[in-house]
This record gives sequence, C-alpha cells and structure tokens, in this order.
Amino acid sequence: MSDDMLRAPAEVKYAEELDWLESIDDGPKPFSWRLSPRMIRLFILGSERSDGLDREISQKWFGDRSFVERSIVTLASDRGLLLIGDPGTGKSWLAELLSAAICRNSTLVVQGTAGTTEDHIKYSWNVSMVIAKGQSRESMIPSPIMTAMEGGVIGRFEELTRSTSDVQDALISILSEKYVSIPELDDDNIVFAQPGFSIIATANSRDRGVNDLSSALKRRFNFVRIPVVTNKKSEAEIVRFRTEELLRRHRIELDVPPTLLDILLQSFADLRSAAASATSDDEKLESALSTAEQIGVLEDAILHSNFFGDRTLRAQTLAGSLVGSLARRTPEDLAILNKYWHGVVEPRSKKDGGEWPEFLEGGREAIATLS
Amino acid sequence: MTGQTSPFGSLREQLLEAAAAFAGGPVTLSDILSGLVDDVDRALREELEIFPVCHHSPASALAMVRRLREKQPKVIYLELCEDLQPLLTELRNCRLPVAVQAFATDLDGFPASWAPLSVVAPITEASAEYQAISYALETPGVELVLVDRSTDHVFQWAPKEEPQKTHKEEEAGLHGDAVGVEIGDLRPRFAELEEHLLHHGKVRHWSEWWDQYVEQPLSGADYDTYRQVMVLIGSLFRRLTPDGDRLTVDEDRERYMWTRMREHLAASGASPADCLYVCGAFHAASHVEQFGLRSTAPYEITPRTATTWLYGLIPSSHSAIEAQFGLASGSVSIAAATWAKAVTRNKLTPFQLAGQKGARKRAVKLPAPVSKGEVADRLTGFLSRPPALDELDEAELLGWCVDIVRLARRNGYLASTADAIAVFETSILLAGMRNRARPTPYDFQDAAVTCIEKDVVPGRRDVRRLCEILLGGDRVGEVGYDALPPLARNVYDRLAPLGLDLEKRTIQRALLDLNASPELVPCSDLLWMLRYLLPHDAVRPIMGERRLGERSIQESWDLAFGKHQRFIIELGYEGVTIEQVLEQRLRRKVWDHKATAAVALAAVEDAVLFLGSRRFADELGARAVELLAAERSVDDAPEVLRRIRRLMAYYRASEPELPGWCEEFATAGYAHYCTLLPTAFVDDDTGVRQVAAMLGFLFSMESLALALGCDRAQLELAVQQSHPEAPAKVALLWAARNQLGLLPLAELRSRSDELLANPLVVPSFPQYIMGFVQALEPAPSLSGFVVEVISKAFGRLPDSVLLPWLPKLITTLRDQAGELMPALVREAGRTFPGGLAALDAWTPPWSARPKPVASGPAPVAAGPVNELLMGHPAACDAVAELLGCAGEWRVPETAAGADHREVTALLAEHPEPALAVAGLLI
Repeated sequence: MSDDMLRAPAEVKYAEELDWLESIDDGPKPFSWRLSPRMIRLFILGSERSDGLDREISQKWFGDRSFVERSIVTLASDRGLLLIGDPGTGKSWLAELLSAAICRNSTLVVQGTAGTTEDHIKYSWNVSMVIAKGQSRESMIPSPIMTAMEGGVIGRFEELTRSTSDVQDALISILSEKYVSIPELDDDNIVFAQPGFSIIATANSRDRGVNDLSSALKRRFNFVRIPVVTNKKSEAEIVRFRTEELLRRHRIELDVPPTLLDILLQSFADLRSAAASATSDDEKLESALSTAEQIGVLEDAILHSNFFGDRTLRAQTLAGSLVGSLARRTPEDLAILNKYWHGVVEPRSKKDGGEWPEFLEGGREAIATLS
Repeated sequence: MTGQTSPFGSLREQLLEAAAAFAGGPVTLSDILSGLVDDVDRALREELEIFPVCHHSPASALAMVRRLREKQPKVIYLELCEDLQPLLTELRNCRLPVAVQAFATDLDGFPASWAPLSVVAPITEASAEYQAISYALETPGVELVLVDRSTDHVFQWAPKEEPQKTHKEEEAGLHGDAVGVEIGDLRPRFAELEEHLLHHGKVRHWSEWWDQYVEQPLSGADYDTYRQVMVLIGSLFRRLTPDGDRLTVDEDRERYMWTRMREHLAASGASPADCLYVCGAFHAASHVEQFGLRSTAPYEITPRTATTWLYGLIPSSHSAIEAQFGLASGSVSIAAATWAKAVTRNKLTPFQLAGQKGARKRAVKLPAPVSKGEVADRLTGFLSRPPALDELDEAELLGWCVDIVRLARRNGYLASTADAIAVFETSILLAGMRNRARPTPYDFQDAAVTCIEKDVVPGRRDVRRLCEILLGGDRVGEVGYDALPPLARNVYDRLAPLGLDLEKRTIQRALLDLNASPELVPCSDLLWMLRYLLPHDAVRPIMGERRLGERSIQESWDLAFGKHQRFIIELGYEGVTIEQVLEQRLRRKVWDHKATAAVALAAVEDAVLFLGSRRFADELGARAVELLAAERSVDDAPEVLRRIRRLMAYYRASEPELPGWCEEFATAGYAHYCTLLPTAFVDDDTGVRQVAAMLGFLFSMESLALALGCDRAQLELAVQQSHPEAPAKVALLWAARNQLGLLPLAELRSRSDELLANPLVVPSFPQYIMGFVQALEPAPSLSGFVVEVISKAFGRLPDSVLLPWLPKLITTLRDQAGELMPALVREAGRTFPGGLAALDAWTPPWSARPKPVASGPAPVAAGPVNELLMGHPAACDAVAELLGCAGEWRVPETAAGADHREVTALLAEHPEPALAVAGLLI
C-alpha cells in the first residue's frame, strides 16, 4: 500500500513493525492504546541488543531519550502535548510517530494557519445536505479533532501558534471538559471524547509573539522543547537516515560519499557558530540551519546530480545546492556566504585538501551566479 | 522483552557488551571476565582490609559507618595527599563542604608559568572519607594516616604543559583554578565506554547511571556484597582503561600508597588485622607489583621539590565540586539528600567531629567490635538476582510535588495544585517506564520540567534548577574563625568595631561616620586595602572615595566577605597582615620585567593612599626613575604626566619639600623626553597625544628641572631638531615653538590662515586642529587661539570637508582630549556672546580692528605697590639696566586712595573690623 503513496504515513510505512511489536507486547497499556509506553519508546528510539528482541527495530527519531519518554508519559496523563522548537528539529515527525504507535492513526491533523477557524477544530456543515435534510449528525462534518475524540485516538494540531487566539481558545474546552457540544442539534448534541483521546500540538519557537498562547491553554499542555541537534554524530545519523529514505522514495541509486556528508555537517556547524556569534539579524543567515535544512540541501544535490549530472554526487554540486538553499535574501545572505566561503572554506581547502577544493570552487561559482 | 524484566540483568548485559565492544586487540573477552573475578578475589584475600569507596556515594558512606562500628580499626590509611594531614583536625571548626587546600607561589622545580599552584580536596558530610576521618579523630587510640602522594608530587607527575584556565559561574567557581584531588574517583576512563553504558542503561548522565545501577542496589547491601561489587566495578573500569599518562600516574600512586603503608606498619608495629585501607575502588583492583603487604617490590619515593607549600581550608560548595569533577549539576546535592534519608531510615548514627558547625550533635557509642568471618562469594548472587526495589514512598513524592509547585510559583511560574497532581502522576509514569517502582529524584525532576516548564522561564531559575534547590540545594561551606589563617583572623578582628556579622553570606552594609567615630578610621583604611586586594564584589564602596590628598568624612560599604571567604583565606598564604601582602604585591608589580614608569608611579600612588609609608613610597619612586630612564617608548607619556603631576601636587601640598625621587624624576624625565622628542615627532607609531604629553612634561616640569641643574638649551635644540610631517604634529610643533617664544602668535595665526586659504591643504586642516587641541596640554595659554582656529574652520571649511569630519571630531575629542575640553569650552564661553541677541552685533575678537593705541604713556595708578617701588627704586633700575630698557619714573597722577572711593565708603560705614584689627595689632 505504501508504494502507491508519495509519502506514506508512519502507521502505514511501519505497519509490519507495529504489528509485530503489538504481538509481543505484554506491558500495561493506558486507555485504548495499541502499545505499552515502553514499546512505543522502543518503536521510536529503536532496539538494543540488551532489549532481547528477536528482530531489530530501527531508530526513527534521533534525539534525547528523555524527550520521548516525557512525551509518551504526557499523553498517558490528562494533558495535551506541545512540542516546541526551531523549524526542522523533527517535532512533526515525532508527533506522527507517537500517534502511529499509540493509535495507528497519525492523519487526524489540523494545520494551524492564519486562516484556520474554529470550524476546523470543532465541526462544520455540509451546506447542501443541511438545505436538503436540515441540521443533523449526517449533515455535520466533524473536524479531525472531533473525529479523534470520538475514536479515542490522538489528534494532531500543527503550528499551533500560527492560528489566531480565538481558534486556540476553542481547544481549551476540548482539553478540559473533553467534549464538544453542538447547539444546533436538539438531541445527540454532545460529542464526548473516548478514553485515549489526546492532542499533540507543535509550535515553532521562531514564531513566538505571533499569536502567543494564553495562560489557560498553556496550563492544559505539557511543553517538551526539542532543541536543534548539535551533536555531530547524531546529526550524521539523522541526515543519513532521512537521505536513504528519500533515495528510496525517488528510486534513485546513488551513493553519498561519507567525506561529502562530513563537509556538509562541518559547513552547517561553522555557519551555526557564526550565527550564534552574530550581533544583528543582518549578520546571520535567515535560515535556521536546522537538520531538516541539511537534508534539504543534500536532497537537492542528489536530485541535481541524478537528473542533470553524471549520477555521482560531487562536492561542486553540493556546494551549489548549499548556496542555492541558504541564500534567501539578497544581498545579506549572499554576503554572509561569500564571507564564509573566503574566510573558512578557502583556508580549509588549502589545509585539509580532499573534496574541499572542489567544494570551494563550486560555492564560488554558485555565489557568482547569484550575485 | 525477556531481558527487560530486571534492571540488573541489563547491567550484566551491559558489562558483557562493553567488554565485547571495546576489548579489541590481544585481550579477549573471557580474559577480562575471569580477570574481574580474580581482582575481586585478590583484593578480598589481602591481609590488610581494603575498603573500596566511590566519591560522593552515600552507599560508600553508609557501608563505612557500618564497617567502622563493627571492626573499630586502630589505624586507618586514607587515599589523600599525605601532607594535608595536619589540616584535618581543623575540619571541626568548619561548616561542610569545605576543601582542604595546598597553595604555592614560590615555585622551585616547576615552570614559573604554573604559579600559583593550588590543590584542593573537597570534603562533604555524605562521604565515606569524612566518616573515616571523624571516627579516627574522635576515637581515642585510633591513628589516621594519609598515604597518597604529596601535593608536590601531584605537580611533579603532571604533564609539563600549560594548565587551561576556564571561566566558571559564581558559585561553581569557588575553587578557582585549583587542581582537584578526590578520594575514590570511579568513572569510565574513556568517553566511548561511558557513552556506551549511558546509552544501554537508558540514562542521561553518569550520576544517574551510578545511582540506578550501583548506588540503590548497594545502599542496603551487607558489607561483603558492597566490597565485592565495588571492587568488581573498579576492576572493570581498570581493565578497560587505555594506557596513558593518567594510568601511569594512578599506578605510581598505588606504589606510593603501598610503600607508605608498609613503612608505617613496620615503624608502628601495628597489626594488619587492626588496620583499614580506604581507597577508591579503582585502586582496590590494582595490578602493580607493590600491591599487598607481602610484596617486597621496592619503590623509591622521589623527594619533594624545594617549593614552599602553604596549607589552609577554603569554603567549597556542591556546585563547585560538581563543576570541578565534571559531575551532573545537582548530583552532589542529591547524594547529600539521599545520605540524610538513608541515615534516618536505617537508624544509623554517623560519625561526626566534635564541634562541627551546622550539624546535629550525635553522640556515638561504639558497640563491642565484631570479628569478621570468612569471605563468602556474594557476587554471583548479587549479579544473578534482581535487587529489591524500593517501594513507592508516596508521602515523600507528594511532599516534593507540593514543594516544587510552591517554589515554582515563588519564581514566577503560573503553577497550581493541578500541576502538583500532574507532576505526581507523571513522576510515577516516568519511573514505571524506566523500570523503577520508586521515582528517583531524576524522574521527579523530569516530571516537574514536563508539567511546569512552559515556553519561557519567567524568573532567574528554571524548573530544573528549582528541583535541585528543592532536593537539597547547593550547599556552600564555611571555614570557621579558628581554622582561618592569621591574616584572615586579623581582618575579622580589625573589622569587629563595625559591629557586623561578616561570616554571613548576604551582603552587609557598613556605615562609617569618620568624624563622629574616629575609632573607625583604621577600619576604613583596612577596607580600602581590601578593596584593592580582593575582587570588587567582595568590598564595594557605595559612598566615599580615597584619592590623593582627599579623605571622606562618611563612608558606606557593601561587604560580602562570607561569599568571598576563599579570597581572604588565599591572601593569608601571602603574608601575615594585609599591609604586608599589599606591600609585597606593589613591590612585585614594580619589579616585574614588564613594569613601566607609569606602573611604578601608580604603585607609588597606591602606597601613599593605602599604606601611608613615606619610606616605601620613596623606594617605589626611585624604581620609577630607573624605569623611566630605561624606557625607549613614549606610549605611556600621557599616563606618566598625569600621575607625576598629581603626586607632585600632593607632595607640595602636604610635605615641606618634594621627596628626592620626585626631583630626580623631573630631571631624568626632562633629559629623557628631550632626547626622545625629535624621534617621537617623526615616528609614525607615536601618536600626537603622546608627543603632546612629552611636551607637557617638559614645559610643566621645566622650572623644577632648570632649578635642579638642567639646561633649557637642551629643550630648544630638541624642538629645533624636530621636523614632523604629519599635520597634527606640525601644529603641535608650532604651538611648542610659540610657547618657547620662538614663534610669535601673530605668525602662528597667519600660518593657520594660510592653510585655510590653500585649497590643497584644506582637506587635512582638521588634523591641524587636532594638533592644536592637543597643544593645550603643553601650552594652555593657547586656548584662545585654539578657539579662534576652530571657529575659523567651522566658518570657512567647505561642507564636503567639514561635515564628514564633525562626528570624527567629537569622538576623537572624547577619546583623546577629554580632560582638555573644559578649558576649551570655558575659553569659548568667554569668546562668544552669551545671548542670541548679541550675536548679530558680535564681531570675533580676532577680526576686530585693533584699538588705536592711546597716545602718551599709560597713567600710573597710585597704591601701596607703587609707593613701595618709588620708595626703593634701586632694584627696578638695576633690572631695567640689565634688560637694556630705558625709562623714567613717573609720579602717580592722583593722590593715594583717591581711586578707592568704594573701599573708603565701606570702611567708613563699618569701621568695627578695622578698629578691631588695629586693636589686635597694637
């Protein structure tokens, strides 16, 4: 089934693994959860030899173990879970994995935008049916959150802070009273949440101040802050993991040389430290330089090499993709990249050699083209 | 899921995996495993009972208390630097944690760049070593012997490279840059092994791993089990230690300790059965050939270097210990809390030094000693059986939850009872997920962060830090008065009249009314000295200042001695009194090879201000003369000029005559700056400010220098030899020539006008102005001319030159001519009209037509001066003749007193004062 989709949700993609884990799971399960908390942790963080399992479970989310544990425990409690962090830190991916492991449904998602209304959280009406038959449960269109309530599963709310305050406040009663009333109906006018219902929301910490959460709503969420991965080893793991997935999805057979991966990681680490020491916004790149951004650069380079190159990933292409992806503002971003290329990459290519000289050349060309 | 049923099954798995993953090379897994058992066997069979410990481990301390009560040894050998022994008895005067410190500034045998050397060994109450020390010092007939290498050897064996200095937080920096030594260092020796253990143990940091896999299972274990498990862990880390400097040092230490113990046993004749050797578990599994009392392998202990070591106690804190030894934040506090609880739960009476501050009094009555039976294998059982899990202590957890919410609320969080409930529930769920029935402090901390921490931290502390405070908090030790070095005691004694409790850790405000209570003047003097010597947070004047020739009537100070006790104690290593330390510091400063004349003058000033010793100030001043004569650069000239002017003004005002060194300084400086002047004028690296300061020195010291035998021709020649090219310096030279009378003001004016009229030079005119402004230093009488030049520049310079230059003018004036500005502004105020209305009719004085010179000689006013001169004309005639000036005496036109009508009227109106003065004189 997952072959028919461009991107299969986690519960479809890992259906077989989840089935197997469910079959061996003998731990206590809260509410209607499909897996016990320990098994969910195992599913997300992968298995060790010491776990004594018959098969290996791959690691799907890379980060501190305690974040996953705290998230799972929050969902087993009375509160909603709010994953907060910089863009590209894997919040949504973690939310998807959690939903898939807990209830095998990660698709009940509301995307928070400036245009999100209360209807998207509660319910709306099928206007033609209302005209034809009047207001009834049949003519009502439940929102993903209401569907999750009815099914006792996890509902997801992406980018909570992008939606306006009145929309956010609609969540308060859902999280407190755990029901939604439908005043338009005379009977059967309350939808109660079934055991197992909870909400995983994500929020971008760079959007702070756009639509700040009210204290009442904050109180109903447990916050788990996901930091940007700065550990080079874990970052390499993540990039490798996601790139392999991308290659599989695009059915591309192409090797990513470890030296090039190192160059990519090193460049991002350098640019991050430069951004950390910058004193104004003009001195740092607009990009958050997250791990997702790295994956984006690598994906771009791979696709470029595959379709326009000789099917070998080269440092020159990587440099071009890096410049292309990170230079968003002209001239600020280009100036920073130019400074980086001449101040850091050039000395390094002289000192370290390897693929760096080619990387230097590729970057220069790309900057020259864009300037 | 099979391996997941017991936490200890997982430990064994981890040990096997760690061995399998890292024992590459010739050592095979089976060798390691059998070696572990061999090590345990060997340590337990040793005739001298070895007590393996781990630092900051409550389990070790508990086992120590139990064992000491059972065995009651007569001699205790402790793994601690042997030269620290005399200090241990002083621990009773302190509030723990404190650190025993060895300190050396006079190095002999070590690179001079290492100075000062400092070694600290922190001691907490919840440690096995403190139990051993207390037992030994409080029980009659028990001897405590420290057997580890001396602090001198710590550095002898250290790699000869520069120690790295790191910045630490306030509390965490209590130990300064000292090297830490610790009893029972037990931790994987390479990062990969630790990472492996943490990863497989599913914990975040080492302290949590230790707590879960060793501490908890061992806290209630019997002595044999404790010993065997500790040696096993020590042996594991030892066998997986890569060869390197650190292992070599450890082995040398073991040789040292065994040699010392054998020596002691031979000398004292004590029976090994009555002795106990307390050492880190790592050393209990030692492989050196000197291990064991039966060994006869020789080991030669190298003599100490001639470095003089000084010893003392300094306050320490849990966070300082964590920072020094790389432990997780809060882990020492949690260990202290665990210890306190275990003591109550197990109804144990720990040992304690009599008179120990900040602890409950506990009388320890020792039961009759129990002899120990044969060693049985407890290891197999221990490793194959899951440990008895602690039951959930609901009351304790509830207490924590309620307290953390209260604490969070006080720190600005919007936490409520609902949060307390959520934290409680989450703690239990998290502990369950991590295979524990009873949430550990770490589980609780995670739960509190999850439920209370939101997107921003409202106050200074986040929830994680609040949890640490709740679970014991950072405890800061204090060294008691009796354990302080003489200098520190002297400081406290001398400040006693202030009536403040200086041992408190809060800031104390001292108010000194020096007029009303002159007895506080010595306190004020001492505070100023401490201000100079201690970090500025420790002693901060709020009101009052001390400058040359000034004294405050009232002073108010913020004193934080409790917080900065370490610095006062470390001053004690330098001398017996504050005055002595200050004198040494100042002397060291001026005799340093990098010292300059400005530094020496600053030292003279400090000596006058703080010590008031003329002899010492003269000594430093003589050094300043030497330094000035030897200097080849004039970079410090502005500083030298400022300081020598201030000092001379002070001496002139307060002493009958200038000190000899000041006169020497003036003559030496005159000659020195005359010599360097031509070079400084042309040297690009020497700034105009420096040259101005040189000229300032030459002109202002001229009268003194000439009186002392210098020749003015030297200065005139030096000015004539100067041919600067930079515009600012050219302007400065013109000003100097004007001051010397070589260039009349009219010519100076015409030259500057020419520059302004020349379009080729106009762009560089601002630089000429800078030169003229700087010239105010040597030639203050030119201020009127400088105002004129600046006014003309503002009036005539084209906008393209003027506007870009203006911001630069302001910044340069602020940076380089701050002290000259008031004079310039005053002069400008005199020159320009005061009101707007007057501006239209105003003509600049320099553009005004010169007034026609009045014909005929000026009228001669009558007065006492003229009367005197007329009465004794010989002197004036002689001077006139010498100067070649012909003239004649004229009689005043009016009668005496005619011009002083106002004065006469005043006197007539109020004759009383004049009559009183007359009466007085008669």
